[in-house]
Amino acid sequence: MKLKYKEYDIEFRRKAILCIALGTAVGLIVYGIFLFFHIDIYGWNLGLIFAPLAAGYAETIIANRMLNENLGAISAFILFIDTTIYSFILKNPTLGFNLITAGSIIVILQAAFPTLVNYILLVVLGGIISGFLKHLRYLARRIKKAIDNRPIFFWDSSNREIKTIVVPYFDEKESNEKLNSLDFFFITSTDMKNRPHEIVGIYQSEVILEKDTSLVQLDPKLIEKKKLKNIKEGKDKCLIKLARQIKDDGGNGVIDLSINYSLIGLGGDNIQITAMGMGINLI
Amino acid sequence: MILTSSNTLENKEIIEYKGLVTGESLIGANIYKDLFSGVRDVVGGRTSRYEEEIQKARDIALDSMIEKAESLGANAIIGLKIGYDNLGGTMGNTILVTAYGTAIKFE
Repeated sequence: MKLKYKEYDIEFRRKAILCIALGTAVGLIVYGIFLFFHIDIYGWNLGLIFAPLAAGYAETIIANRMLNENLGAISAFILFIDTTIYSFILKNPTLGFNLITAGSIIVILQAAFPTLVNYILLVVLGGIISGFLKHLRYLARRIKKAIDNRPIFFWDSSNREIKTIVVPYFDEKESNEKLNSLDFFFITSTDMKNRPHEIVGIYQSEVILEKDTSLVQLDPKLIEKKKLKNIKEGKDKCLIKLARQIKDDGGNGVIDLSINYSLIGLGGDNIQITAMGMGINLI
Repeated sequence: MILTSSNTLENKEIIEYKGLVTGESLIGANIYKDLFSGVRDVVGGRTSRYEEEIQKARDIALDSMIEKAESLGANAIIGLKIGYDNLGGTMGNTILVTAYGTAIKFE
């Protein structure tokens, strides 16, 4: 009887190993197909999930038919080790630890040990979150209680100092007249008809308007006003700078003048104003 | 006041260059405008609200420029340039409209 049982046991083991081997083979074939056809998402092969699943599924079906028993998807675990070693160590030894690899490891572990990982994710993680929220609720209750027990003060708003920010008026006419009284010609056209002149050279000047942090406290309409005032002042500075450069080189005018505005800096915080033109000397 | 983007005025003689005249205006952020323009971007069609705002801003810039030219005693602006620049940074909701040209007196 003992001998018969022993023979049965050996036979059972052989069949079980065969089932596991067949399951592993199916998993490897599936993984091979995924690799061959490059079924990837962001370079991460989906075979890493589907190969262990296919191996476990095939092994379970074969074991149910041959042994009328479930072997516990051992081939899925073998596939998990195989695919992980191949993809993460052999094929890509330089793969660093980042969000994608961390996510991949979780998904692979989930495919290989579904019950354990689901338990960790749903029960352990859920428990931690619920415990944290419980402590947070307790803390909120304590704070509320402390506030409720404090004597009540009425805030008299009549003595409140109201902070007003006034955007200074920018006299455009005055600024324009000042600009045109520099004994210098600012000409936007490409030529000055009937005015003989010689070319001094091409000139460019820049002014950078740095981010005005005081603007944060203003309301949107005032922000616009202040910003526009800064831009106008910046443009005047830029033109004066250009005129000075040309004057230093013996010129007294600029033709084909262009003024450009662009954003620079991280997030476009600063404004760059550029004035460019051909310096001339009117004879 | 004659406005032209060309260098000269046809059949007219420029007798004096009065100088540079400029005008600027800014269209700021507006949640409703931006929202509906975003909807338009998805469903298609013209964002007429935005067009109106830009037109208004351009008119302000041009009017300011013309006013300065008049104060200089000019009767035309040549070499006119109009620019539209986005100054909204990452949000992209502030547009600067600039107009500038050369004020002249012609006969």
